[in-house]
Amino acid sequence: MRRSRGRRLAVSIGKPLAVFVPVFLLGTFFTFLLGHLSGRSPAYIQLGDAATPEAVAAVEHEWGLDRPFGVQYVDWLGDIFRFDLGESWFNGHSVAEVLLDRAVITLSAAGVALVIGVVAGFALGALAARFHATWVDRAVTGFTTTISVLPPFVVGIALVAVFAVSLDLLPAAGYVPIEAGLGPWLSHLILPAIALSFDTVADVARQLRDGLVSTKRENYVTGALVRGLGPRRIFFVHVLRNGVGPALAVLGLKFPALLGGAVVTEAIFGLSGYGVFATQAAIRGDVPAVQGVLVVSVVLVVLFNLVVNVVLNRLAPAAARGV
Amino acid sequence: MTQAPVVTPAAETVAETHPEDVLVLEDVRIHDDLSDTELVHGVSLRLRRGQVVGIVGESGSGKSLTCRAVLGILPELIEVSGGSITLLGRDAATLTRRDWTALRGAAIGAVFQDPASYLNPSITVGKQLQEVLRVRGGLSRKDAHRRAVELFDSVHLRDPEQVYRQYVHELSGGMLQRVLIAIAISLDPDILIADEATTALDATVQAEILDLLAELTERLGLALVLVSHDLAVVAQLCDEVLVLRDGHVVEQGPTARILHDPQEAYTRLLVAEHEQYGLERYLGTTADAVLPTEELNRV
Repeated sequence: MRRSRGRRLAVSIGKPLAVFVPVFLLGTFFTFLLGHLSGRSPAYIQLGDAATPEAVAAVEHEWGLDRPFGVQYVDWLGDIFRFDLGESWFNGHSVAEVLLDRAVITLSAAGVALVIGVVAGFALGALAARFHATWVDRAVTGFTTTISVLPPFVVGIALVAVFAVSLDLLPAAGYVPIEAGLGPWLSHLILPAIALSFDTVADVARQLRDGLVSTKRENYVTGALVRGLGPRRIFFVHVLRNGVGPALAVLGLKFPALLGGAVVTEAIFGLSGYGVFATQAAIRGDVPAVQGVLVVSVVLVVLFNLVVNVVLNRLAPAAARGV
Repeated sequence: MTQAPVVTPAAETVAETHPEDVLVLEDVRIHDDLSDTELVHGVSLRLRRGQVVGIVGESGSGKSLTCRAVLGILPELIEVSGGSITLLGRDAATLTRRDWTALRGAAIGAVFQDPASYLNPSITVGKQLQEVLRVRGGLSRKDAHRRAVELFDSVHLRDPEQVYRQYVHELSGGMLQRVLIAIAISLDPDILIADEATTALDATVQAEILDLLAELTERLGLALVLVSHDLAVVAQLCDEVLVLRDGHVVEQGPTARILHDPQEAYTRLLVAEHEQYGLERYLGTTADAVLPTEELNRV
């Protein structure tokens, strides 16, 4: 019966961790299996299509590809734990090093998009819930429905046309590292981030609105009212806390979409992030590079959902009883 | 029964503004704007400190709506369309939202059926009491915690420190109702409304909660409005009873008279049903149905 705060926290972190390990192992296994099944070989990238079978065998031996599948997999997995994702078949660079530089750009864009998604989504959702069943509610619903069906490449091109070309307010393409200053960094990221964020804004707003509207009808809100608590306190402490669950869960689901959407937005805005890197690597048949991108994605997505879970369990302890 | 209201001869003549009256309802009518029907057709009652008034009636008779009108929490599109509600000498119709917030908790508190649903599932019950003491009572975090544990103790919760740290899903219905009562009385209100507060509880717990309400009424000088569909519950505690049916007041008067000498057919039916289906008949003690309840009250 007696449960300490520490144990509650341990459970809320331990449970998601128990999910993380199998998901990570399965994800990386299938990633490796797919690379193996693709039948690609570094020999053709280095020697061209006219390579003799002896030369191919020599190159494959050099890369260790003539070993049994299991040995290769365990070897590769062991390297991952040392943050070594192997070398690119294309130019021999360390995949981990190249990816790290690229991931910073992608994560910057996705991070800014996430912030926009949370801020705008929460503001719109809360607004619609506050003025539930009025024209404000309907206007917000109309707006979110519209932006949710606009694909990022259309929005991206439109944003460039308006803000970069017509108004000349923001740069159309490129990336400046944050070391060069927050202003320039943000000015290069804001347009791709907005293009990426529309879907997240729409979904977070809709989930939050529904969550808040149904929570407002709960008896414990009446209870808080009868106790003489003010409207602002009731909203933040009693309504928001219990109504925010679905919106947070959606945020967890949207994160992979933000990373995936990077492929398109990076191409439009000329950002050399890992979306572009992944496409190029896939076209070249550079298996270690593609595998590296997938491993990093799996880790990022699972970690993000882990954080969302911990936050959810902290907000609503009763929810942690399920599962 | 609980202490009799103190009536001075002078006060009788100026009944309208008697200082002892904490709650006065004059011909209160409640109207549903959506279906354009009147739901409550004129309820009047007068409540003084330390007095207990019971409202009896079946579901849909307007008991809860009347309570909600008194608390200023009527559902959307339902409003008081006639008569007046006077809370501690203030006309409820003139109160702003801010006035209501100030009155609730400090002047009037309430407990309801299904106590679990009236507490926030994500915050420990202690924190919810502490919140009221801190925000409304102006206590520091530490003092509010100490006072909360005291209040839990005063409603006879065993191991109040432990209860303080528990969530709604970890406590039983009877304990939760005690928690709700502790929260409702935390700011020393003048009026407490118990709307079917014992209905969802099993019989022994129900008796314990009624005892607690009686004790608090006496100790704190609360004016209690006890709403129930159960005549036995009302008989145990109330000085005066008001019988509601379909929004009409069928009968109103001192409890003993209503139970022993009901004038209206509907009240007679309620009393008869109780005699027919109650435990007293089974035990063969139908002679005086009020006797055992009086004994209960003294415990």
